[in-house]
Amino acid sequence: MKALLVCEYREGKLLDTSYELIALADKLGVDKAAVLIGSEEAVPKMDGTVYLADAAVCGEYNPAAHKAVILAAVAKENPDYLIFCHSSYGWDLAPRVAAALKAGQITEVVGIVDGGFEVGCCNAKMRRVVKPTSAKVVLTIQAGAFAAAPAQGAPRIEPIEVTVDGQGLTFTGYEPAEAKTIDLTRAEVIVSAGRGVGKKDNIPLIAALAKALGGELGASRPVVDAGWVEHSLQVGTTGQTVAPKLYVACGISGAIQHLAGMKKSDFVVAINKDKDAPIGEVADVLVVADVVQFAPILTAALQK
Amino acid sequence: MEATREIYWNIGHGTVLSMYLLAAAAIVLLARGIWMRVAHWRQGKPLNRFDRYPERTRRMIAEVLGQKKVARVRAGGVFHALFFWSFLILFAGTLLVMLQADFMTPVLQINLLQGHFYRGFSLVLDVAGAGAILMLAGLAVRRFLLKPVGLETVNDDYRIHALLFAILITGFLVEGARMAATELEQNPELALFSPVGLGVAKLMAGASLEKLSLLHRTFWWLHFALVLGFISILSRTKLKHIFFTSANAFFAPLEPKGALATINLEDETIEQFGAATVADLSWKDIFDADACTSCKRCQDRCPAHVTAKPLSPMKLIQQIGEAAESGSNTGLIETIGAEAIWSCTTCRACEDICPANNEHVNKVIELRRNLTLMEGTFPGDEVRTAATNLEVNGNPFGMAFAARGDWAEGLEVVRVGEGEPADILYFAGCYASFDKRNREVARNFVKICNAAGVKVGILGKDEKCCGEPARKLGNEYLYQMLAQEDIETIKATGIRKIVTTCPHCFNTLSRDYQDLGLAIETEHYSTWINQLLEDGRLKLKQGELQDCTYHDSCYLGRYKDILSEPRALLNAAGWQIKEMDQSGYASFCCGAGGGRILAEENLGSRINVARIEQAAATGAGILVSNCPFCLTMFEDGIKTSDCEETLKVRDLTEIIIERIGG
Amino acid sequence: MKILVCIKQVPDMESRFKPAADGLWFNEADLAWRINEYDEYAVEQAVKLKEQLGNEPEITVLSIGPDRVVEVLKKALAMGADRAVHVQDSAPQQKGPWQIASIIANYARDKGFDLILTGMQSQDRGSAQVGVLVAEFLGFACATTLVGFSYVDGVIHAKRELEGGLKGLVDLRLPALVTCQLGLNIPRYPTLPNIMRAKKKEIETLSVTSLLTEEPLAITTQFYAPARKEGGLVLEGDLNEMAQQLVDILQEKTSVVR
Repeated sequence: MKALLVCEYREGKLLDTSYELIALADKLGVDKAAVLIGSEEAVPKMDGTVYLADAAVCGEYNPAAHKAVILAAVAKENPDYLIFCHSSYGWDLAPRVAAALKAGQITEVVGIVDGGFEVGCCNAKMRRVVKPTSAKVVLTIQAGAFAAAPAQGAPRIEPIEVTVDGQGLTFTGYEPAEAKTIDLTRAEVIVSAGRGVGKKDNIPLIAALAKALGGELGASRPVVDAGWVEHSLQVGTTGQTVAPKLYVACGISGAIQHLAGMKKSDFVVAINKDKDAPIGEVADVLVVADVVQFAPILTAALQK
Repeated sequence: MEATREIYWNIGHGTVLSMYLLAAAAIVLLARGIWMRVAHWRQGKPLNRFDRYPERTRRMIAEVLGQKKVARVRAGGVFHALFFWSFLILFAGTLLVMLQADFMTPVLQINLLQGHFYRGFSLVLDVAGAGAILMLAGLAVRRFLLKPVGLETVNDDYRIHALLFAILITGFLVEGARMAATELEQNPELALFSPVGLGVAKLMAGASLEKLSLLHRTFWWLHFALVLGFISILSRTKLKHIFFTSANAFFAPLEPKGALATINLEDETIEQFGAATVADLSWKDIFDADACTSCKRCQDRCPAHVTAKPLSPMKLIQQIGEAAESGSNTGLIETIGAEAIWSCTTCRACEDICPANNEHVNKVIELRRNLTLMEGTFPGDEVRTAATNLEVNGNPFGMAFAARGDWAEGLEVVRVGEGEPADILYFAGCYASFDKRNREVARNFVKICNAAGVKVGILGKDEKCCGEPARKLGNEYLYQMLAQEDIETIKATGIRKIVTTCPHCFNTLSRDYQDLGLAIETEHYSTWINQLLEDGRLKLKQGELQDCTYHDSCYLGRYKDILSEPRALLNAAGWQIKEMDQSGYASFCCGAGGGRILAEENLGSRINVARIEQAAATGAGILVSNCPFCLTMFEDGIKTSDCEETLKVRDLTEIIIERIGG
Repeated sequence: MKILVCIKQVPDMESRFKPAADGLWFNEADLAWRINEYDEYAVEQAVKLKEQLGNEPEITVLSIGPDRVVEVLKKALAMGADRAVHVQDSAPQQKGPWQIASIIANYARDKGFDLILTGMQSQDRGSAQVGVLVAEFLGFACATTLVGFSYVDGVIHAKRELEGGLKGLVDLRLPALVTCQLGLNIPRYPTLPNIMRAKKKEIETLSVTSLLTEEPLAITTQFYAPARKEGGLVLEGDLNEMAQQLVDILQEKTSVVR
């Protein structure tokens, strides 16, 4: 069996998630080949063929062209699996390839179970196992669900050229993110505020807890969207992905986008009124309490 | 000598005709002035406030003559009452003199103004005149010297005070001159019955009869002219309140306090919901501006105003009047301001104290109906979220509706949805069902009922929010949607009695739901438990005597007049109440009414903290409340004020449950 | 201009989910339903576009499911859509994204739509495929995860949300399909006149069998609640005691607390 790994390239670099694709292929125990629309310097280190198209020609975002490149690689390799990362690149591109191949797609895989693929649903509260019924299957995998394989090996590079018009779509550039005043990716301790904090006025309670732990304040997306904190504090797939020594989730239910951003933390404490909140899946300790009441008490206990 | 006087002495009967003609002219001017206001009021929609007119008339006479509402606030109020009665007596006296001279004497040939009656008459009028001057002086000192904060003084006020002083003083000058000429020496015993006049007469004693006659005639015509002037400008100055404020006692609503117009949502011809322009209000809303005397008592008691929100109930009334001056299409929202409109907690302190019977609260609701139903705006995003949560899950928190009955786990209750019989239906409400602190109240209530042998039924997950906060925020559609479902569910149970632990649910189910077809007797737990106590079904033991202070929630106190039963319960349970200054009908709102429990308080200072500080000032360490909103606001307020160590808040059920037995 | 908005009715995410009898999806008892959050942004964007173009465009909103989905169609109509299509299906959850997309494409194919909007994924299944698949079946230009949308002279200027706060700028020519992400707009609260007008708008009912031509390409074999983290500890009870317990654990298990 064979897997074709669709690696991601942005702003001139190969994204690290590509090594997670390799890890999944290894877990499935299949041969691998990769395809990249990028540059020769960015080709992933692996044993196997890497089909390379030039991003300077195709564009970093050009679904029609990228699809054509991938289909060309598919024609050569005839893979059983096509594996994408479930990123803004992957979820945009994978269904197009799936449509062209009439392959079933299984989205945001987090595990392999009983010969099927485990995915989350109902806002990460539940799980289901999905099995393909088509010959080929397209998979998108959750960032961080599979530990990245080591970058080793020397790939055989095969160039691919396609000439495809954008089919009505033109990529016109990137808009940079607002300047990050705080780099949470370097923090050793992060204490994040979620919707359970209740209102903007309660944020100082969480900030105080962060300070007592010698860490930084983070936040889940709803808190940022509500304007309670600035965007640079957001932890999650559209914010920052962090892996601190200690992560304290305050009043965060554990929506999948947030979990994905902090799952790699060494030790996770969750404070939540709801004993069954999804954050419990990744928490080493779940304190069942109203965070507004508990945070100051914990802060005081730490300061003793 | 005879105890009487010659009416029109020195004036002559020849002047009577011109006097009446001039008076008639002044009255015509007055009437015309009032008549012209009618078109102004009619810019608003029709509203029937003429029904049951005997009842209305009786009420108006009692209020105007009794001055009870005016005198409720001592400063200024007592002065006004006394001034009013004095002036009324003077007016009646003058009318009687005219009647005597121009009708009773020539036509009936009866003279009332003689003998003992005349002596009494003279004395009463003199005292009234003196009283009027004294009271007017008191009012003038208050307005012009003491200058209470927020009391606006305009040019009109100077002119009116001057005019009234002038009328009163010239009255005594006329009397004094007459008495100096005809009574001082000629009838000294009679003169004693007009003490003030006597004093003035003595000042003029030295003058010759000719001079006295001239003085008298001058003062008489001056007095007459001033009075005519007074009559003709009545409708154009603050003095119009004599008519309009009195009339408002006639026009005041006969519906139960807090009744709102229920919009007929089936009516497809309605294009405008709520009030955006003057024409969307009723004529009464415009009339209220004319009845308003700018006494600012409403403003002084408004919890929003007192905590520096942009709302003033008085300004609201007057801005509507001003807008109506510019025409019926004048927009209201921009003038009054959305922030002011959203700030109201519907506590009714304004309406409760208003001596002019103005209706402030329903105007706010109409303005909110426009903002919500026509423009889809909210005071904040958190309110929009709460509204969506109400639509999806029937509670503002967004908690899964299936968990609504979970608070009753382990308790002896009947799930009435399944057809089982119960003595009462306990409508728990959203806070008692889902809020951790308030679940204790629900649980306590059930236990108290069980101790009294009452079988309590609940709707559990079939219960939805009664819709009150949504309705008070102007969302009549969401309210009716929720209400219809609740009414259907309740009716299907066949239950005959509903009890609630939330005054807001209580008001809504007992009053508002009647417009939508529910006619089941509903009580608040305080009166229900008090009845159980009186019937001997529940026994309380007094135990150790404890101190507390008690907060009359707006929706129980001002709305429903329930003030004594909760106190009776506290006393029966062995608690002593150290009353706050602002208690009973003067109770100060916790800040959560008017749907504001769903909103964040971003302007001014915190209303709940203001009340907490009032409670702490009594020295009693425990504050007792009877409403889930109050309980929530006070718990929050204690945390954010300096009173965390010194004050605790308890619900009345928590007090009672500890004292069951005996 | 003809606009199509595809919306899904999903359970409120605060609900407690339990597997249905067949163990393949959630039990529908005691669930509160609402419009899929991402689809609400799609409806709002369509209405905004219609207003921008002087109310000329006609917006059709479509949903697949049993009778209860009429509620979300009515909500969309109250927000400003012109007409609704209810594809009557008693068990939509048994159909995979491939089938759902083909049903929609079969409906839309000959209707001459210029623009199709839908949410980037559904809150319950979250496969994030239907939008893009529909675009592929119909040959429409397509971009996903929009947090910015402007329409000028026949061109859509879209802003895609990428990782780390970065945005990708994309221009699309009609006919196009876009999928909408949180942050694109704030859906309006329907005014009462609009709610009342919506009652008179047309809701066309079609049977799903008339539009279903595909078999599923993937099937669900299990549906369950996830296991708690192995070794994960749950603390409950007195706040002060828990705080002390937690401090002790942090001292022991991490180098953070001394």
